[in-house]
Amino acid sequence: MNMVPDEASPFETSEMLATFLASTPLLSESWRLCTTVAATAPRSFMTEQRGGVVYVAFPGVEMAVGSDSSWRNLVPLDSIGDVPLFSVRRNKEGDGPVMVHAGMLNLFLSFFEPFRNQMLAIMGNTNTKSIVITGHSIGGATASLCALWLLSYLHHISSSVSVSVSVLCITFGSPMLGNGSFSRAILRERWGGNFCHVVSKHDIMPRLLFAPITPFTAQLNFLLQFWQLCMTAPGFGKLVVPISDQQKELFNFVMSYLDAATQDGEGSAPILFHPFGSYLFVSSEGAVCVDSSTAVVKMMHLMFASGSPACSVEDHLKYGEYVKKLSLQFLNQKNSMQGNIPDSSYEAGLELAIQSSGLANQELAIEPTKECLKMTRRMGPSPTKNAANLARTLSKVVPYRAEIEWYKVWCDQQVDQMGYYDLFKRRRSTSKMVMKVNMNRHKLARFWNNVIDMLERNELPHDVAVRAKWVNASHFYELLVEPLDIAEYYGKGMHTTKGHYIHHGRERRYEIFDRWWKDTMATAEENSERSKFASLTQDSCFWARVEEAREWLNSVRSESDTSKLAVLWDNIEKFEKYALELIDNKEVSQDVLAKNSSYSIWVEDLRGLRELRAKVKRFPHHFNPFLDGEVIP
Amino acid sequence: MAGGSLGDKIGLKEELIKKACGLAFKAHKPPEKIYRYEKFQISQETYHVFSFSGSWDAAEWFVNKPFGETKIDLALFPSLRSIGNDEAALVNEGFAKRFDNIWKTTSIKSEVNKAMVDGRQVVFTGHSSGAAMAILATFWALENYLNQIKNQSHKPPFCVTFGSPLIGNHIFSHASRRENWSRYFIHFVLRYDIVPRILLAPFSSIEQTFGSILQFLNPKSKTSTQDSTRASVISDFYSTVMRNAASVTSHAACILMGSTNLLLETVANFVDLSPYRPFGTYVFCNGKGQLIVVKNSDAVLQLLFHTAQLSNLAELPQVADDSISQHLVYETELGVSLIKQNVEDLEQLEELPLSADGSNSDVATRISAALDGLGLSTRARLCLRAAGELEKRKRRNEEKIINEIKKKGEASMGDLETYKTTCEVHKGKGYYDAFKVQKEANDFQANVKRLELAGVWDEVIEMLKRYELPDEFEGDPKWIQLGTSFRRLVEPLDIANYYRHLKNEDTGPYMARARPKRYRYTQRWLEQAKREPKSDVTESTFWAEVEELFGWINSKKPFEDVRERVLQLEQDLIKWTDRGELTKDTFLKDPNFIKWWEILPQEHKATSHIATIVKG
Repeated sequence: MNMVPDEASPFETSEMLATFLASTPLLSESWRLCTTVAATAPRSFMTEQRGGVVYVAFPGVEMAVGSDSSWRNLVPLDSIGDVPLFSVRRNKEGDGPVMVHAGMLNLFLSFFEPFRNQMLAIMGNTNTKSIVITGHSIGGATASLCALWLLSYLHHISSSVSVSVSVLCITFGSPMLGNGSFSRAILRERWGGNFCHVVSKHDIMPRLLFAPITPFTAQLNFLLQFWQLCMTAPGFGKLVVPISDQQKELFNFVMSYLDAATQDGEGSAPILFHPFGSYLFVSSEGAVCVDSSTAVVKMMHLMFASGSPACSVEDHLKYGEYVKKLSLQFLNQKNSMQGNIPDSSYEAGLELAIQSSGLANQELAIEPTKECLKMTRRMGPSPTKNAANLARTLSKVVPYRAEIEWYKVWCDQQVDQMGYYDLFKRRRSTSKMVMKVNMNRHKLARFWNNVIDMLERNELPHDVAVRAKWVNASHFYELLVEPLDIAEYYGKGMHTTKGHYIHHGRERRYEIFDRWWKDTMATAEENSERSKFASLTQDSCFWARVEEAREWLNSVRSESDTSKLAVLWDNIEKFEKYALELIDNKEVSQDVLAKNSSYSIWVEDLRGLRELRAKVKRFPHHFNPFLDGEVIP
Repeated sequence: MAGGSLGDKIGLKEELIKKACGLAFKAHKPPEKIYRYEKFQISQETYHVFSFSGSWDAAEWFVNKPFGETKIDLALFPSLRSIGNDEAALVNEGFAKRFDNIWKTTSIKSEVNKAMVDGRQVVFTGHSSGAAMAILATFWALENYLNQIKNQSHKPPFCVTFGSPLIGNHIFSHASRRENWSRYFIHFVLRYDIVPRILLAPFSSIEQTFGSILQFLNPKSKTSTQDSTRASVISDFYSTVMRNAASVTSHAACILMGSTNLLLETVANFVDLSPYRPFGTYVFCNGKGQLIVVKNSDAVLQLLFHTAQLSNLAELPQVADDSISQHLVYETELGVSLIKQNVEDLEQLEELPLSADGSNSDVATRISAALDGLGLSTRARLCLRAAGELEKRKRRNEEKIINEIKKKGEASMGDLETYKTTCEVHKGKGYYDAFKVQKEANDFQANVKRLELAGVWDEVIEMLKRYELPDEFEGDPKWIQLGTSFRRLVEPLDIANYYRHLKNEDTGPYMARARPKRYRYTQRWLEQAKREPKSDVTESTFWAEVEELFGWINSKKPFEDVRERVLQLEQDLIKWTDRGELTKDTFLKDPNFIKWWEILPQEHKATSHIATIVKG
């Protein structure tokens, strides 16, 4: 697709979003509770209702930095309690396992039981619609994990209960928490907007884990204790920061790893921990909000580079000041910009963002910061525009589907009475029609795969998956075309190498469409009775089940182990019952019942086998030898 | 853009504005009257002016929390809604109640009626919450005397307000632009006047001091300006309103600017964002004699916030005090401004100069000076540009659709016309049946055309749902006509397809459960244009009714239960064929219709209205 220049976003929004956040009470309320919990309940957590919002705050507990590697130790994380964290399908995709910081996970687990109980109570007893989970320092990591559990829990129960609770996690100076897979999994679940990490210009804490800080364990422990003391002591903030040589070394060490991680091109060093969610970078000049993981790392670097060892420690404790300043920002027009204001809206917006990130007087940082923010600029069309374009493409591919429908009807009328599944599976003829149908099948697959990709890349509006148009179109497509995919799979004998279709051959798009359909149908009423066979079989995997049933039937003939036989018969009878039920409810289309369809033949075979078995029972000795497959074809 | 008096720009004489302003303030004064009706003459023309007094009782501003809005009474204001989306406007309940009360308990309705019917130039005016009454009265008059199907000899009424609070949500702006009424509403706002901003804050945030603030704002009140707590109360009030205005406007700006960060949506769930939006034409008075005219509602919202911001914190006490006192000085301020005639129109917002020095044309320099006069920073100007971009984008969207319709739509419609004729003339059966049976290649072709057209129109609907087309769209005769012919020709095919696949057994009757929005919307457009009530069965959907009735009678359910529906359908069929919206051939020869007719009970058929035409 050609990129039309005017489709790039004409505005830079990182600063405007930060302005919106700053105008709400969310940041100041969160910070207030963070300081309260640090002073009054340093080993527990606190909840408080403000207006319609419940705030939960975790203290920045010091964490024993004991053995040498524990500060960089990652452990896999698939579930908390009995709630799976990310949908199963994610794990299929060749991304490494989701891992988080071991120490922080342990800390979180120590809070988990009471936290869960309190959350369940809050959601059960009050009509709370929104929950903010917050924490300063290491408390921020705990807050993130708690929010993650809550999001997963809500997602998990959403299929059975309808709950609409908004969750927002706001951290202040939180260390990083998980690996790249962790960050990507959150992105794919569309939870990026539920995390807002406030990071001050110089604070070393959120940047520590870019470096293998093991050699600095002692220094680190000292720092943590110092911060802890400052947060809990009444004269907090008044203590003089002790800057030792080691402290300077630590600063330079972290700096050097940030340098390496943000090198352009191939030169950049891989990082172990990745940012996730949105970051609100605060300075005394204002704030900017960034959500691209790469841009976040660069901003961390650029802002950190403008600081010093001393302020890198102080800044971890200065969130109160930043938040206070930010929350008053709305009253005052920020000082007007100096020098020439570019006439392009986008460039002018960039200048404002530079100003707000407090880098305007850092000559060397200005250009790289602009480059970094430009990376986050949307270059293609907007999501709504994408959806509109996609709708137009859909209307272009729908005729392909109509041709397949036409083919299905044509098959029903042929003398061989096989129905479109079997005719397509056995297609030998290179008739124009069949070739066209096959081509259409590929075109449609390409179209729908693209829809899913775009959705996961955040290029479509969030509600596409519940818009009737898309749900209905995808469902119809699935019912009509998946049987052909199955026919192709078994026709080419792919099951012999890869295993059966349902578990080994089914395209991910169909599973996703199943979920869309299920989610939107959850609200619809029960169907009334059908008077005629459906025009499309309502179970798109029906033919795959027939194929499996056929294999069982064949196995029965050669199987002599009675316990295995029993299992096979059990499976066969289950399918038989299932199929009869579908037919009774007229939920299959008539091609299933065509005289020579795979299903009809299977039913015939089953009848034959049953007759045979009945005879065998009557004359067990006589007929036994035949059962070894010599007689039956 | 350059030159021209205010009168030329907004279509109202300066003298009239001055007079209206005087009357709007006089309305508050004794003798206590809820409204006044006066006539006066300005150079040959007589004006009939209705002015409304304000209310200074907090309970009449916020009926409930957080913002005191309610759905507007569509019986009184049938046009104040989004047509296709079928969404009623939200209005401040306190104001709506007060208006309702005036309308029911006074003789104003008959006075307005007489003036309008006599072809007089009527003007409604008000200051403060009196302005809200003037606005609703104007809408009422427009609804009753100015819709397209009624007598054209009435003069459109004008509404002139001074320091009006916001009274409704974005649909006020949407609907008034669609009906082409926007130009009849002129709102004057002094730069710091707090009243136009108050409803951007939730009531809970200002509850404690709102009562006393209203007394400060009341021209009748005797409270001393020397009150010791006054300064701090005012300062807090100003700050609170501005904080909430900041949330509303920065949230709106993020959307205007196209932010895709998911955080935006999440955070919006955590804060109460006011639904109120400006509409009509705003005239901002900068306090130095200059008037700035803005018509874009999104831009006005941004201006309401940015023009009242401080340029440094030290200004706070002074500006806070101005935010109250300016509400009371419209007469003096306009007296000066209307003589000076220093007027600037803000149009082409997407190209507004961001700074004075960057511009090299006289116009840009002048506009930039006007923006400076309102204290608009670069940030504010970017927000205005974003508002302009959105308007431009909406127009571009419409152009794209027109191209799409020209490129594909028209040809497909032509093909389907041919298909319909072929079926009726050559096969003598009607296209509904042919399509339902789907036997021949041209039936298949027709299905492809149907799907193509559906794609184009569904896109229109998606955009309407998100207000991404110009506000005028649903009132544009061209679109109403295109939508209607599309609906009449193609909907029968959708119904045929639906009953062919027996989807009614999955999902229920077509009309209730499955009718696509592309037909629901286009039907509503026509109904609104003709000011007709909503009908359940239409000339494009009677096939669904035939199918449902056939199913009912065929399954031996009692005819009595559906007799009314059958009678109605028969009457309607005659009405539609008489009006030429439907041709007899379309249904009379159709096997589905014939089958339906045949199973009707004999005794019914004997007396049926359509018996004669069926027998032909």
